[in-house]
Amino acid sequence: MSIADSRRGRWIAALLVLLGIVVALELFAGVLGVLVDIVDANYLRAVLRLTVPIAFAALGGIFAEKSGVINIGLEGLLIISAFTSIAVAGLLGGGDATQAELWIGFGSAVLASVLFALLFAVVCIEFKADQIIAGLAVWLIALGLAPFASKVIWGQVNSPPIATLNNWTLRIPTTDVVLFDASPPVFMMLISVPVAWYALNRTAFGRWIEASGENPKALDTVGVDVRKVRYTGVLLSGFFSGLGGAGLALGRVGQFIGGGTTMVNGRGWIGITAYLFGNYNPLGAFGASFLFASLDALQIRLQQLGYNVPSELIGIIPYVTVVVVLAFVGRTRLPSAAGDHYESGEE
Amino acid sequence: MSVAVHLAGITKRFPGVVANDEVDLEVEEGSVHALLGENGAGKTTLMNVLYGLYQPDGGTVHVHGDSREFYTPRDAIDAGVGMIHQHFMLVDTLTTAENIVLGHEPRKWGGLAMDRAQAERDVRELGERYGFDVDPEAKIEDVSVGVQQRVEILKALYGGADVLILDEPTAVLTPQEVEDLFGVFEELAAEDKTIIFITHKLGEAMDAADEITVLRDGRNVGTVDAADTTREELAELMVGREVLLEADKEPAEPGDVGLSVSDLRVTDDRGVEQVSGVNIDVREGEVFGIAGVDGNGQSELVGAITGLRAPESGTVRVDGRDVTDLSRRERIENGMAYVPEDRQKRGLVMDFDLVENGLLGSQHTAPFSDGGRIDWAESREHARGVIEEYDVRPNDPDAEAESLSGGNQQKFVVGREFARDPEVVVASHPTRGVDVGSIEFIHERILDLRRAGKTVLLVSSKLDEVQQLSDRLGVMYEGEVVDVVDPDRVTEEELGLLMAGQIPEDAPSIADAVGGEP
Ligand SMILES: Nc1ncnc2c1ncn2[C@@H]1O[C@H](COP(=O)(O)OP(=O)(O)OP(=O)(O)O)[C@@H](O)[C@H]1O
Ligand SMILES: [Mg+2]
Repeated sequence: MSIADSRRGRWIAALLVLLGIVVALELFAGVLGVLVDIVDANYLRAVLRLTVPIAFAALGGIFAEKSGVINIGLEGLLIISAFTSIAVAGLLGGGDATQAELWIGFGSAVLASVLFALLFAVVCIEFKADQIIAGLAVWLIALGLAPFASKVIWGQVNSPPIATLNNWTLRIPTTDVVLFDASPPVFMMLISVPVAWYALNRTAFGRWIEASGENPKALDTVGVDVRKVRYTGVLLSGFFSGLGGAGLALGRVGQFIGGGTTMVNGRGWIGITAYLFGNYNPLGAFGASFLFASLDALQIRLQQLGYNVPSELIGIIPYVTVVVVLAFVGRTRLPSAAGDHYESGEE
Repeated sequence: MSVAVHLAGITKRFPGVVANDEVDLEVEEGSVHALLGENGAGKTTLMNVLYGLYQPDGGTVHVHGDSREFYTPRDAIDAGVGMIHQHFMLVDTLTTAENIVLGHEPRKWGGLAMDRAQAERDVRELGERYGFDVDPEAKIEDVSVGVQQRVEILKALYGGADVLILDEPTAVLTPQEVEDLFGVFEELAAEDKTIIFITHKLGEAMDAADEITVLRDGRNVGTVDAADTTREELAELMVGREVLLEADKEPAEPGDVGLSVSDLRVTDDRGVEQVSGVNIDVREGEVFGIAGVDGNGQSELVGAITGLRAPESGTVRVDGRDVTDLSRRERIENGMAYVPEDRQKRGLVMDFDLVENGLLGSQHTAPFSDGGRIDWAESREHARGVIEEYDVRPNDPDAEAESLSGGNQQKFVVGREFARDPEVVVASHPTRGVDVGSIEFIHERILDLRRAGKTVLLVSSKLDEVQQLSDRLGVMYEGEVVDVVDPDRVTEEELGLLMAGQIPEDAPSIADAVGGEP
């Protein structure tokens, strides 16, 4: 009963927020009719591409936090992997890197993100550092390191443009009818979301992740190593963030932009708000990521159409939404032991 | 019959304490063994040694004749020893079945997926075999404490345990649930499982156990046959002196109404109404008891009276002053003391020492504080006073609350609250987890308060306790006080019926709670 209530509450809150946005947009654009022009197949495509980094960060965050380690360094992991993908592909093939070289870049980026997450896990699990501070450190280090390395490699914070990954096309077998045509990271995202849901809700490993974040002692006393589960959770956050960062750089932009908040530009943070909004459910988190990405796309589109909507204003919408959801719906339930260290055998 | 567990000369030291001093213990296979002892006697420690949570400093553990060394609970579980702690180790957000199979999940599809249907089937089968019913699909957070305990037992059995250790399993149960649990013990013993349980209640040990071992100051002072011992003998073994099992009380001399609750309605966290229009007047110099099966609104009622939960409607008055909208702090300043139901959550800060814990609730008032700074010397004196008076062990104000045994934590909380020199005392389960010697002491203190003309509201799930101490006894059922009875004239059967919501025909009821003259 309470679950159904909270769901309804969530959707009501989401609708209210959306309504607010529409009203606000109308004030800016002056015409509601614009919306009709905007929402077409191209818009949807753009939204899906923009969803990639947010949704992957959210998926990663879910695994880490549900296992009991709050990873707020997702933004940093996206930056590291975005940079690594371009750097490796660029070093291999330069401006006209082949698809194979791009894919090597992609793999290296995921690896780099996982290694970074490993570092974070060691600091948090072995050395019992405060997870929030360690997570901030991951972000700040990435924010400094990536532009610095760019300068070393390219002499400036931005890389020269290189190619992007070719689209994958899904046809009905033996015919030419195209079902879906999108860049590979979009495909990966659409597969990862249900797989993550399945892993969390239908496998023994999913139960362990849940137990590790809710009551690690219960898990320990039945003989499952809480440390291993938590390491796995954090490494998965590195893995997914790696897909997200590399997907952003190689799937859409084809360049690393290291100025200011870098090309990642807060998408890792929005990923966190997305999984909170989705109450740690991968499907919900994906929905929220999609919603936030569509706002982003909308703003880009409006600008293309000549309406001058301040992007900063649109940029704060996810955060406002999450505050509204957390404050007024208030049903997001943090794992009880998230943020706590666990030492086996401690009484 | 073979010996299932044999502990030989177990010694376990903690800094400054010998918790177990060369303890020998033998438990036969297929028997039920009770472990009795005062607070801090070393019962929990001994069982933690058997369960591999602590390594003994001396002595050996034998299970089914083999000498074993357990370094972790895992080792103990592998040897067939399972333990159910006082604080359950369950994952609230998982279902009962998921908790039971945790760590040993049945798999399908080559291990890729958990076979949930199989898990639920296993749990149902296991439950049927031992005569428990648990709903495999219910979430732990939605089931009662009694059911959670069964889940713990099933979890141990699922993990292959044939020796089950239970630490104070009855402390949190209602009388009916206790009876059910003992039924389960019988079933288990009939299947050759061995059960060791810790308790403070002599009657329970005699009812449910085959043999009883008494620990005192870390030593085994005797193992007796449950069939031919008496409560008096056990009490004396435990405490080392004769114990008064019944508190003596002179007739009440009730004065003015000290605490008055009218038309109180309170909802729980989920917004469900738990207290539906309760009226109670408690007079000065009177103990008003509240009995009832846990979860019939007692916690919410107490929450609203003490200011921890805002009522939907109704008023609470102390000495005629309306305190309904006052904060906790203002209520304390109005002379209300409160012994909370859950000492670890509400009564103490577990990683504070006793000086700090002794200060809680008075941290902003003289003589402990001048409003800004705290007088630590005074606070230490105060903590020391409570420790002395209530015989809290260890006798050390710098000990962290966490390092005290459960009963000693309780004694400290009771001592702190009674030391406030309150006008009104609200005590929830004041002797939960406390040994007989200390129960006697706490009961005496409650009667002292009554003698001094204080107003006492006592909530307890122990019927003998409320019956002995109260002058009038209200029975709660589904959020209402169904009847107020004279505790000296009511029988256990009548109380049982009232607690189940039925009003027996000739119950010695006292017309109504409001202003009822005893
Ligand atoms: N982790 C610990 N560190 C230090 N001292 C401890 C620790 N655990 C227990 N003790 C001490 O060992 C003694 C025995 O404690 P134990 O918990 O075994 O008592 P108990 O018989 O279970 O008491 P109760 O009935 O109150 O639960 C006590 O003096 C207690 O303070
Ligand atoms: Mg104990």
